[in-house]
Amino acid sequence: MALVKGRTLPVIARKDLSALSKEKTILLAILLQLFVAMFSSFLMVGLASLYDPSSISGYTGIKYQVGYSGEESPLKELLESRDDIRLYPMDLSTAIAALKERQLVAVVYVPDTSPDGKEPVTITLYTVQNDIQAAIINVKLKETLLLYEDYLRVIRAGRLVVLPVELEFPDPAGAPVFYEFVYGLLIPLLLFMPAIISAALIIDLITEEYEHHTLETLLSAPVSMGTIIWGKILACFVLVPLQAGAWILLLTLNRIPISSVPLVMIHVMLVSLFLILFGALIALYYRERTGAQVIFSLAVVVLMLVVLATPGNPFNQVAVLSTGGPGAGQVTVLALVTAGIMVLAALIQKFAKTTID
Amino acid sequence: MTSLAQIFTFAHWETKKSLVLPGKTILPLAILLLILLGAATVYSARSGLHLQDGMYSAGTDDPEIAAIVAADARFRVTLHQEIDPARFHGAYDIIITDDRVYAADSGRGAAAAAALERVHEQYRNSVYSQEEDIFAAYPLLVRTEAVRSELDFSVARTGMQVVSPVRSSRAPEPAGPVTFVPPPDPGAGVSAETFRSGIIGSPDEAYQFFHYADYIAGSRGKEPYTTPSQLSPPLPFDSLVLIFVFIFPLYFISQFLMMSIMNERIERRGEALLSTPARSWVIITGKTLPYGAGMLAISALLSLFIGAGPALLLPLIPVILFFIASGLIIGMVARSFRELSFISLFFSTVTTVYLFFPSIFADVHIISLVSPLTLMIYTLEQEAYTVSQYLFSTSLFLVTSSVLLYAAVVNFREERIFSTDTLLTKTADFISSALRPSHPWLSLFFLGMLVVPFVFMAQMLLLVLVFNLPLPLSLILLLVAAAAVEEVAKSSGIYTFSTRYPGFLTWKSLAAGALVTAFAFLLAEKLLLLVTVSQIAESVFGTVLFSSLGLLYIPFSIHLVGILVSGTALKLGGKSWYIPGLALAVLVHCACNLWILKGWLW
Repeated sequence: MALVKGRTLPVIARKDLSALSKEKTILLAILLQLFVAMFSSFLMVGLASLYDPSSISGYTGIKYQVGYSGEESPLKELLESRDDIRLYPMDLSTAIAALKERQLVAVVYVPDTSPDGKEPVTITLYTVQNDIQAAIINVKLKETLLLYEDYLRVIRAGRLVVLPVELEFPDPAGAPVFYEFVYGLLIPLLLFMPAIISAALIIDLITEEYEHHTLETLLSAPVSMGTIIWGKILACFVLVPLQAGAWILLLTLNRIPISSVPLVMIHVMLVSLFLILFGALIALYYRERTGAQVIFSLAVVVLMLVVLATPGNPFNQVAVLSTGGPGAGQVTVLALVTAGIMVLAALIQKFAKTTID
Repeated sequence: MTSLAQIFTFAHWETKKSLVLPGKTILPLAILLLILLGAATVYSARSGLHLQDGMYSAGTDDPEIAAIVAADARFRVTLHQEIDPARFHGAYDIIITDDRVYAADSGRGAAAAAALERVHEQYRNSVYSQEEDIFAAYPLLVRTEAVRSELDFSVARTGMQVVSPVRSSRAPEPAGPVTFVPPPDPGAGVSAETFRSGIIGSPDEAYQFFHYADYIAGSRGKEPYTTPSQLSPPLPFDSLVLIFVFIFPLYFISQFLMMSIMNERIERRGEALLSTPARSWVIITGKTLPYGAGMLAISALLSLFIGAGPALLLPLIPVILFFIASGLIIGMVARSFRELSFISLFFSTVTTVYLFFPSIFADVHIISLVSPLTLMIYTLEQEAYTVSQYLFSTSLFLVTSSVLLYAAVVNFREERIFSTDTLLTKTADFISSALRPSHPWLSLFFLGMLVVPFVFMAQMLLLVLVFNLPLPLSLILLLVAAAAVEEVAKSSGIYTFSTRYPGFLTWKSLAAGALVTAFAFLLAEKLLLLVTVSQIAESVFGTVLFSSLGLLYIPFSIHLVGILVSGTALKLGGKSWYIPGLALAVLVHCACNLWILKGWLW
């Protein structure tokens, strides 16, 4: 008897898919992915707004009140020239008292160290603990302090041996933080999430037949073990391009264009198939869910770490391809993943055969 | 006494059956994988993560600059004899010639320029840190001092409004007494050599595993002095990673619990368990005890390992309880393995958001106190927190866990556990065991009170999610979503009654049921408000969420109108009209809240 029958395969796949859709679990899976996407985006927007508060409209046009204390210095003029800071020369004790009452957002104290002295100029920055204003004023003061550092460096330049190559940068435009986050992290994450979900799913589908003793019933029908397993794999696999495709569509609608979609999809689907086969193999070996899931999740963590630490990995390929860049070493990566799939498929065939005997 | 003995017997069984026996079969491979995990961690720490390799293209005519840029794997660098930015325009994301950087006018170009700026900064640091005269290379040091403000909560509770308007050009005068602050010591207070080693060790360290290993071992303190480029907003990323180490075992162990409960339900294996003379609370306590003890033991070991002491566990205990309670319920409602996987995945994602997201702002904003993890960060930073802060962040976990545990105990019966109804029906089943047709009003009243903590938790999560959006948008989103959560929760009792006991829903009983539920909601809200939300209740967000701070009759009538709308839909059109009725109720609720908000916004 042939191990896999072509016509019965889709029947098994359809059976598992219809059970899945009846339970509406797939809805939960999609909701989960949306939630992850939302969470990571919110995280990003939140952090970016903290580093660059002016990206939130409500913060523009506000003048932050800063107290200045200690010696006169060029830092004072640098701070005064900013139009988002209002500087008040004050006595240190008064300034701190005002800071405690939140009449100021920060106090800067400058010592009388000479600009060309041996010692560094150590200024002290007082801010309110646990306060969002402290975070914002930190970012603003940092810009000015960097200018002051450059100024002091020029004065002390005679004492330096090697001067680094200086570069002149164009004025930053837009929010570049988002670009790297979206293409370098969010897109690979979203596109490979269906793979992980499907792999966890195949374990559940296979171990369930064992634990509920429904496998005997299925096998009493004219289907082979191989057909059952491959039908389940097919059911899990067809979910991948559907979900990944939906993500690509959603991202494009959100004005995040994704280049080389066919190649990206090929990478995603091959990696998914690899993971699904891997999950199936573990499930066939353990035949009960807890053990299979524990081993699978541990193994996936190990695998992910190794893969991500290897240059040119599929995740990297997807990131680069989706920005429109050329994925270097495509063929090698695709060939390696395909080889892995072949090995796993052969092992699954062997397992399916031993179960029949 | 007998109950106690029984509990231990069940705990013993559970440990043997669900932990030791299956543990033996997977142990060899698990140990092998753990060893591999260690090796993989070392490998990835050595090699770094290659996710963004080759994302940007750069062209230059300067070999030295090409070497600098190529040091970062994100750049694909091409070296030309001579490069003319005008002629090569669009060929590269960035072009560097004559020490000038030209970025392509695309999102990728801007991102590449920003990335290059950071690469250049690191390069400069690597050159400067080699200097003999280190303080000529780093002539400016910044010492940051945090000042504790007496006005902490009253100011921060205004939500996003953080800046007081500038009134005059005259320096502000403190209203209170001025205590003398000695001027800080002008000396560096740091030797050239310690400073140099600090500079060399710092770039990009945050992404490396060993950095955290150091942190866990406690060998890395806070640097008192930073160069201006090291100055960064006080985000406690280190502590967050550390906290993740604590939460991860909880996820893992709760999976085992879910699976153990699920296993009892496969082919009615748990029948033997149910036929024992023990009461269901005894069985449940016994079954969950090993998992709770395991979670506690691992957490205690971890905190011992990092030398933090038992105080670190205090905020964690309610979280552990919550994991146990929800694991129990999830194991009881899931129909199949697939469903168990997805519900547990979904549950852990939502819980992660609830726990982690606020604590990122632990040192920044009061909103962070929503999560108990923030208190753990405070403990790690050796900062004290007050009892009311503890109650604020943990009480919702405690109350919801108790309600879930109660639901589990009441429903740990044959007809509930072994049924294979859909998730919604099952939830309704669980709710219905709190309803007694003989005392409909009393049961509706208690149900109303029991669901309020969940409503609060969901609303807190919403608050956390929308908090970073710009103000008008965040308010509108919060308004609609919060109203939806509340209406679903309020109508759950009447919905369950009307589907379980078809004759129940008359016009009279609808009116009475609505009155009772609205009253229960009001009462429970008031009670919870006392301990929890007072911290944010007075901000504009608080008004949206908990409009009940004003006059009593306003929130009461909003509750009442909401239930009446959805209940009327149920009465008129049955189950199929429930969703449209709910939508209408949400709309009405939003309109009412908007009307209250008017006092805040206009």
